[in-house]
Amino acid sequence: MNNTPWSQANQALKESHYELLCLTATADDTITATWLNPADGSQQSLNVPVIDQHFPSLTPTLLEVAWDEREIHDLFGYLPEGHPDLRPLVRTPRWPERFFPLKNASVDPPPWRALEPDNPAVTVQGEGVTIMKVGPSHAGIIESGHFIFSLIGENVLHLDAHLFQNHRGVEAQLEGLTVSEVAPLISRLCAADTVSHQTNWALAVESLSDFEASQTLEWRRIVLLESERILSHLNDLAQIPAGVGFQVAHQRALAIKEYWQRGLLLIYGHRFLFDTVKPGWAHPGSAEDMIALLDAMAPKWKAWRALVEGHHGFQDRMEGVGIVQPIDAVHFGAQGVAARAAGKAFDARTVLPWYRSFDLQPSISLAGDVKARFSVRLNELDESFRLVEQACTLLRQKGNLLAGNDLTQGASGRVITFTESPHGLNVHDVVLNAGHVTRYHVRAGTYRNWPLLAKTVAGNTVADFPLINKSFELCYSCNDR
Amino acid sequence: MTKTQRSLQIRHVDGGSCNGCEQELAALTGPDYDMQQFGLDIVASPRHADALLATGPVTDTMATAVERVWDAVAAPKLRIAFGDCAAGCGVFQHAYASHGGLDDPDLVIPGCPPDPKAVIQVLRQWLKANALPS
Repeated sequence: MNNTPWSQANQALKESHYELLCLTATADDTITATWLNPADGSQQSLNVPVIDQHFPSLTPTLLEVAWDEREIHDLFGYLPEGHPDLRPLVRTPRWPERFFPLKNASVDPPPWRALEPDNPAVTVQGEGVTIMKVGPSHAGIIESGHFIFSLIGENVLHLDAHLFQNHRGVEAQLEGLTVSEVAPLISRLCAADTVSHQTNWALAVESLSDFEASQTLEWRRIVLLESERILSHLNDLAQIPAGVGFQVAHQRALAIKEYWQRGLLLIYGHRFLFDTVKPGWAHPGSAEDMIALLDAMAPKWKAWRALVEGHHGFQDRMEGVGIVQPIDAVHFGAQGVAARAAGKAFDARTVLPWYRSFDLQPSISLAGDVKARFSVRLNELDESFRLVEQACTLLRQKGNLLAGNDLTQGASGRVITFTESPHGLNVHDVVLNAGHVTRYHVRAGTYRNWPLLAKTVAGNTVADFPLINKSFELCYSCNDR
Repeated sequence: MTKTQRSLQIRHVDGGSCNGCEQELAALTGPDYDMQQFGLDIVASPRHADALLATGPVTDTMATAVERVWDAVAAPKLRIAFGDCAAGCGVFQHAYASHGGLDDPDLVIPGCPPDPKAVIQVLRQWLKANALPS
């Protein structure tokens, strides 16, 4: 199966350092792989037909699509021939046998079977091996996931992560909605990456309507996207010291995050920036108030950064733990902070034309450990402060040039849009027919990083799992959908 | 003798939320809101809890876990639907794998997500006026 033209063509793009945007199935029996050229931002799409419910699997030569193909198998019933592990990923034993929600026309809830939702797990067999199951409900305030550890003593031999506990069926729900009905759902896909999702949807409609965004609109979106990165990175940075009991740093970071959110509430009317970007529009906010908020934040942030960087015990605790090998970052198609902290320099903002004049430098580390992910986030947060300030200054000097044509309500066509969310490359594959959604596929940044996290944890002690997990800080909601 | 409740220990279960409700719950335990000072806390086990607090529209996969956690909380006990999704008025109510919110809540805290200040007010007012349902 490894030598099909389909697999060779995809392999060739991977070897040319293209980034896979998404592997999408559609109900017309087609699989489409869309790749991004990181040198110029151009896209290249490849197709393969599904014949008698079968298509050739890419997984044996392209590890990063292992989950995508399992998801397609679960939701469409298309079988990826040659896939090495076709256990259910999204579906559970409670799903009726022939229920394929994105292939069958009806999206009504099926008659769920009265069974446990647990899927078969991969565990290590042998003398002295202990199986430790965690979740799906947890002892803290976290999203739902089920983790099956194989341990020997305190050492993790293998982690099988069973996600999709939060699977609601959002992609099916979006089908049939009109352009104006979609925005509130997309805004609530994930509270940590909401502006990124909203922007992808806005870009999709604008692209299919031949709408040309004004510079003012682009600057407003940069302010919102970077404000979200600041919020999300503050949250993630606060969690890492919590993972090692460094409560002072944890609580102080939560206080800074709260200060930022109160500012966002005043300026944008929402603590998480829900409903701030729509097709043809972005919340105007106030550039003056934003700059004042940045000025008030700066001393708090600098003091916190000095505290954590100057604490040798904390820095030592993070060093050498949860190492991502650079080769794994490439094979797993890792995205965002996890990738950049392991030497993979990709940041989607560098190929988005509206970021071009801002001279963005991706923050990179080669170490791949928790400390590297922590320090990449610190640097990215400072870079986001700079971007917000620069965009606000432009808005003050040259803003309000909001011309632009109208959006077509009845747009048709297919487009793949992307942004760099706080958790990495975030992609939407949108098909519209006369202003109605006929297919909507979301490939969030965390989707590629979950299997990489599981690989990374093996070889560490089980007590380090919370720390490693928090340094990846992967969200569940836009992964599970 | 008063029947009102002085404190409330809460077990949280995510039934398919967007993580907004979780972030606000975390803020409630942080330094600015410090809900522990009012006798309100999120606890690590249903055996320690007086209440189940569910977020999200309750996905089919999580529905069993939500009810199992509820069964593990000792009576008298309270069922709290936290946020619009759990309250049955969120945007994902009609997705095929969503059960449309938490069944039969005793207390609904609306919002998308609920504002932390309002959460403390609602919980304190409820505790002043009510005893836990037995």
